[in-house]
Amino acid sequence: MLNVKNVEKYYGSKNNVTKALDRVSFNVADGEFIAIMGASGSGKTTLLNCISTIDTVSAGEILLDGQNIAELQSGELAKFRRQRLGFVFQDFNLLDTLTIEENIGLALALNHEGAATVKEQVEEVAGKLGIAEILGKFPYQVSGGQKQRAACARAMVAGQSLLLADEPTGALDSRSSKNLLEIMEQMNRAMGATILMVTHDAYSASYAGRVLFLKDGRIFNELFCGERSRSVFYHEILDVLAVLGGDISDVI
Amino acid sequence: MYWRCWEVISVTLFKLSMRNAKRQAADYLIFFVTVILAAALLYAFNGLIFSEEVEELSGHFDQLTLLIVLSSIVVVCIFGWLVSYATNFMLTRRSRELGLYILIGLENKQVARLFFAENLAVGGAALLLGLLFGNLLFQILRAVVMALFGQAYHFEFSFSFGAAGLTVVYFALIYLHALRKCRKKLCTMRIHDLIYFGRQNEGAVIEKGRGRRWVFSASVLLGIVGTLLLMAGRVLFVILGAGFVIAFLYGFFISFASGVPAFFEKRPERKYRSQNLLVFRTLTAKLGTMGIVMATISLLFTAMLISEGMGVLFSGLMNGRAAEDGAFDLYVGSAAEGGVSEEYLEYIGEHIPVLDSLVYPVYQGDNAQLMDYVSGREDYFGFNYERDTLMGYRDYAALRRIAGYREVELLPGQYLIHCRAYLEDILKDYAPAVTVGEYVLRFGEVYTEHFNQNDWGVGNGRGFLIIVPDEVLEGCTVRHWGYVAQTAEPVAYEAYAALRDIRDRLYRSREKVEGNYDSVGSKAYEESESAAFIAITVFPLYFLALALMMTTVTILTIQQLSEARHYKQQFLLLWKLGMEGREMKKALLKQFALYYLMPAVPPVLIGVPVLRNFANGVEPGVLVGMSSSAAIIGISLAVFFLVYAVYIVIAYLGLKRDVLPEVGGEG
Repeated sequence: MLNVKNVEKYYGSKNNVTKALDRVSFNVADGEFIAIMGASGSGKTTLLNCISTIDTVSAGEILLDGQNIAELQSGELAKFRRQRLGFVFQDFNLLDTLTIEENIGLALALNHEGAATVKEQVEEVAGKLGIAEILGKFPYQVSGGQKQRAACARAMVAGQSLLLADEPTGALDSRSSKNLLEIMEQMNRAMGATILMVTHDAYSASYAGRVLFLKDGRIFNELFCGERSRSVFYHEILDVLAVLGGDISDVI
Repeated sequence: MYWRCWEVISVTLFKLSMRNAKRQAADYLIFFVTVILAAALLYAFNGLIFSEEVEELSGHFDQLTLLIVLSSIVVVCIFGWLVSYATNFMLTRRSRELGLYILIGLENKQVARLFFAENLAVGGAALLLGLLFGNLLFQILRAVVMALFGQAYHFEFSFSFGAAGLTVVYFALIYLHALRKCRKKLCTMRIHDLIYFGRQNEGAVIEKGRGRRWVFSASVLLGIVGTLLLMAGRVLFVILGAGFVIAFLYGFFISFASGVPAFFEKRPERKYRSQNLLVFRTLTAKLGTMGIVMATISLLFTAMLISEGMGVLFSGLMNGRAAEDGAFDLYVGSAAEGGVSEEYLEYIGEHIPVLDSLVYPVYQGDNAQLMDYVSGREDYFGFNYERDTLMGYRDYAALRRIAGYREVELLPGQYLIHCRAYLEDILKDYAPAVTVGEYVLRFGEVYTEHFNQNDWGVGNGRGFLIIVPDEVLEGCTVRHWGYVAQTAEPVAYEAYAALRDIRDRLYRSREKVEGNYDSVGSKAYEESESAAFIAITVFPLYFLALALMMTTVTILTIQQLSEARHYKQQFLLLWKLGMEGREMKKALLKQFALYYLMPAVPPVLIGVPVLRNFANGVEPGVLVGMSSSAAIIGISLAVFFLVYAVYIVIAYLGLKRDVLPEVGGEG
């Protein structure tokens, strides 16, 4: 589904160049749940931003279903983002002025769907994610966990094929984090959503089927869950992180 | 040691104050510019009070001084509200930062002093720039006054210390009042209050749906009744109407902000159509927290539109009356026995250099044929006139020559009509023949130059005059006599006053009946009277209107621009979610247009009928052409929206640049 080929990304001016991504390559199959881990400054968010077309690559290419996203024009890019990609951010990024229902429906409204379709689809996805009863509330009236579930609902309501999550549990307590991860797992398994999640947290990463480790902009290691239990997989992730070193305090 | 330490803290605080002042001026540039303009405006109008040259122009300028001082007091209150509102707004926005100063060890008093110093620095800088710009503005105002009184204007740079001193006093009052309030607030607030102060807002005034609908319906009803009362024109009705309109504005804005979500809840198909969801939610979120401010702004807009419209109306009224009454350089009309007294003619002969003159009779017709025709079709009153008025062609031709109008021809067997411009449309189609004695005359032409045909006094007919061949008038009754003259130079005020004294003396010596009070008029006097009246009424009205406009639009704009960060986050998210740049621009524009349009709609709905009513209350025929009620309303609205548009465009461009950066980057 997603092919990332030799992607490089540089920041800064002539005299002060920072290499954020260094020949990063990997593939994501349809229906996969991948976590990207690494210390602060390892290039995780830059990679996610490049895949989500929020940022551009300096070299290499990113293909989604065979289509090079760097070749898309501005109008096509917008269409690509609203039809193919779903976003879940650490700080939820819900609009304060809209209700939860309207926040979720926004993704459909941007696709110019009719009011009846919007209502029907929003209710359906909200029911699946257990937030049907808070649809009429505003973001400030619901908990962080509910906000993040609403963000998940927005990320998949328009039938987006790839869900990109940037530290989705970063602003949640442990109970809400667990709840959200279970929902993401359910989205992946039951609804077939392809998920690419950037995280610091080994526990969050253990919900994924595969974990990519980034260090100094390069892929350092890769772990598959396979048939192992989550607990075992969690410990294996911690082992890799120990070898990875760096900001060990970041990776709890 | 303690002293040195305190000195260091003071210097650091001073530096911090100045840095903050600079930042404040940049962040609230539009407010800073408005304060500069406020200082300039106050200086320029104060300049009129202290200008000896302007004072010499007319004896009426004592009233001008009084009216400018009175309007300045109102304007100072308006600017005071602006500065107080903006300072409090900045305090709210910066409360977290100010709380942090206390958190790191500064005393409340020190922070209050810091805030005071930086605001005073901004106000002082604005005052200085304003005084410089005000000098330029005063030159423009001086040129307008000179033109109004028909005097030549010469550029002359001067700085009025009196005007500057008064402006400084006004500014001190404005700033000290605003800063005293903030200082009091800062001194009594705890760290927690300060840090969370920015989160407080006005809050939804009415939460419940039923209450909201009730308030909305009641306010609309009050608005309609209030406007009707204002249109009625009587003092009691106007006071009641103004009260109703104020209640309407507050009720409307408080309930509207809470009512829109309910409207869309019932109509989901409209909610998700194009950018409606974003535009209305953002708008109602904003209005929900500033409904009362919005109503106050709308109220001030109404006052501004009416002030400005009244300025245009007074200007048109005075010019219209002066043009008609001052059709001739000199005019005397008398219905008394014996006609125009020799006393006038002797005085004129001795004191006024005359180039051309004529004493002539105005006759009374056999019937009121034309008067009945006009009364049935136009707003007209022929006070004290029972029959049509006639004039011989020879006299008419001479009067035209004296007034400087072109020659006209009267064909045998015809009559002409000379009327005021507003009657032209109904009289140019007048077909019936006019009978005078045994003569039957056909309709010829209509002429409409100013001809001293007002609805009062002893003039050349009330609104219209029938010109007939001279032979027709043999045997007709003379209604009154007139004297007109073309003078070598404008009639001096002293000469005009002497003629008026003669009139009053003659009146005292005659029997006290209506026709025995003569009419005396001169073009120069009418023009100077009109100029003085315009100066004392129109200038303060425009002054007030401009101050109201600047204040209200600045508050609207500060509110809008302060949301830039919030809007930026919103549009960044929408961009990530795949909203196209074109649609984002459209949504922002719609949001922006509605935000600015909302408070302008009620003033237009109220202001237009009120102005029309005032314009229609004036005697017929004065407000015509560019001074007609339609033109007055048109000009007032055009000026209102033009000034409004300047602020809106500046704010929109600023916001677009700050809020939609990615759109430019994307393509």
